[in-house]
Amino acid sequence: MTRSEIRIAGAGGQGVVTAGRILAEAAILSGSNATHNQVYGPQSRGGASRSDVVIAGDEIGFPLADEIDLLIALSSEAFEKYRPEIVDGGRVIVDSRCAPEADDDNTSDFAVVDTARAVSGGQLVTGVVALGVLQAYAGLVDADALGEAVAARVPAKHRAMNLEALRAGRELVSGAIP
Amino acid sequence: MSEAQLIQGNEACARGALAAGCNFYGGYPITPSSEIAEHMVRMLPDAGGVFVQMEDEIASLAAVIGASLAGSKAMTATSGPGFSLMQEHIGFAVMAEVPCVVVNVMRGGPSTGLPTSPSQGDVMQARWGTHGDHPAIVLAPSSVGEVFDLTVRAFNLAERFRTPVILLYDEVIGHTRESVQLPEKVEIVDRVRPDGDAADFLPKAADATGVPPLPAFGDGYRFHVTGLSHDERGFPTDDGHVAGALLDRIHTKVSDYEDEITAAETFMLDDAEVALFAYGIVGRSAREAVLRSRDAGIKAGLIRPTTLWPFPSQQVAAAAAQVDKVIVAEMNLGQMIGEVERATAGQAEVVGHMRADGEPITPSELVGVVSAGGGGGH
Repeated sequence: MTRSEIRIAGAGGQGVVTAGRILAEAAILSGSNATHNQVYGPQSRGGASRSDVVIAGDEIGFPLADEIDLLIALSSEAFEKYRPEIVDGGRVIVDSRCAPEADDDNTSDFAVVDTARAVSGGQLVTGVVALGVLQAYAGLVDADALGEAVAARVPAKHRAMNLEALRAGRELVSGAIP
Repeated sequence: MSEAQLIQGNEACARGALAAGCNFYGGYPITPSSEIAEHMVRMLPDAGGVFVQMEDEIASLAAVIGASLAGSKAMTATSGPGFSLMQEHIGFAVMAEVPCVVVNVMRGGPSTGLPTSPSQGDVMQARWGTHGDHPAIVLAPSSVGEVFDLTVRAFNLAERFRTPVILLYDEVIGHTRESVQLPEKVEIVDRVRPDGDAADFLPKAADATGVPPLPAFGDGYRFHVTGLSHDERGFPTDDGHVAGALLDRIHTKVSDYEDEITAAETFMLDDAEVALFAYGIVGRSAREAVLRSRDAGIKAGLIRPTTLWPFPSQQVAAAAAQVDKVIVAEMNLGQMIGEVERATAGQAEVVGHMRADGEPITPSELVGVVSAGGGGGH
């Protein structure tokens, strides 16, 4: 496969870093090469946070997103900040509850935050719901590999909840009106 | 080789240290190096080693030096603010000739700066941070796999030359996870220990290599350790001839083997008209930029040093002889560019592209720099 650059960006506490790591692990399980990088502020919660994942069939040169193919924006700030870095033909997944101004032609709106809240009662699985959306929407990794990577990465006591979050994310896409 | 795993740069450093035989870690965690301490504290006790969290970075390197003199392979890891505190003891380790490894995962400075953002602002501090004339061996990896390899190399060089070795990489390299296959077995160098009569032992007498054998405390050889200028017995002296000879030996034991120490990767330089000089994460950006520039019809190439010090002057001079222009790209306001100019010696035009705002220099940015003919920065 050709190089794909994915940026997952939002606020600290949404599980953005963990989601990126899971996506990269799923890519490796799918037989691709992958890199993951995390950028966060000094705060543990509430500050801006982002994960870059690069997936490719062969060796990866620059390990960060440089020309973003797919942006998952989980805050207004993230959408505004990274919109200029999206490559021509790139796509954006947003939740309009977090980024109401995101209505570009290349943008698809999914209720990631409400779904995460419904599954977990909070925002911790937001990133995993977003991964479910991403996989159903854009492919990039095997669905089974993604499930395996989620199960392997999250704490055992939260495994069932996270797998439910992944399934609910996928259903946001399959149930979406085209 | 092991199976491909998604490993973070800082974890690769810890694993490289263990593979090299590290059995002592003394440190004080600091972003963006903390994962090295986290992995060491998990892995080192099971490997029969000792992990000590010290009260600060001064004490951390003191503990490392003590452990090394007791026969351990010892390391610490830090970032800019802690690296500043360690300078005193780096000089002590140079003077007392104590093998040890100091890792500095660079973040934005000066002072506490940008704790979670990358920088390459410490490359001159790594050379000249401690006072007095001293040799420096500083390695600079560009990938997670190279962090592992160069951590092993850092220990081997420290042991071989009885000197501190600094492993220097930026936050991006430290925090990036990449799919890597780590080697099952690595080549290990151990310090030379004395085998003669303990009664005649001169702890600072060296053979032709310039490196005196180093016993561990407890081996039965008595020796004195000091940061003062000292004679072959290890005791302080203010005799200028003796002090000068010591300083000379401490330098030449490294400089005589510079050809074996310095290393730089070159990429597509053969027919290049413009060469990028970049290290660390910027080396990755530059490699991409070379490929993209060539797609656009510009004959670009890359020289990427993996040893910053001793500086690979010969490799840079050879590259400069082939091209019209050298573009030095670094995440600081211009540090290694002075060395590049010195090594280039007028053979090619040298221009810089500098960035010190906490963001890495990207391939797109460098493609623009190359097509514009170089120069500029933020």
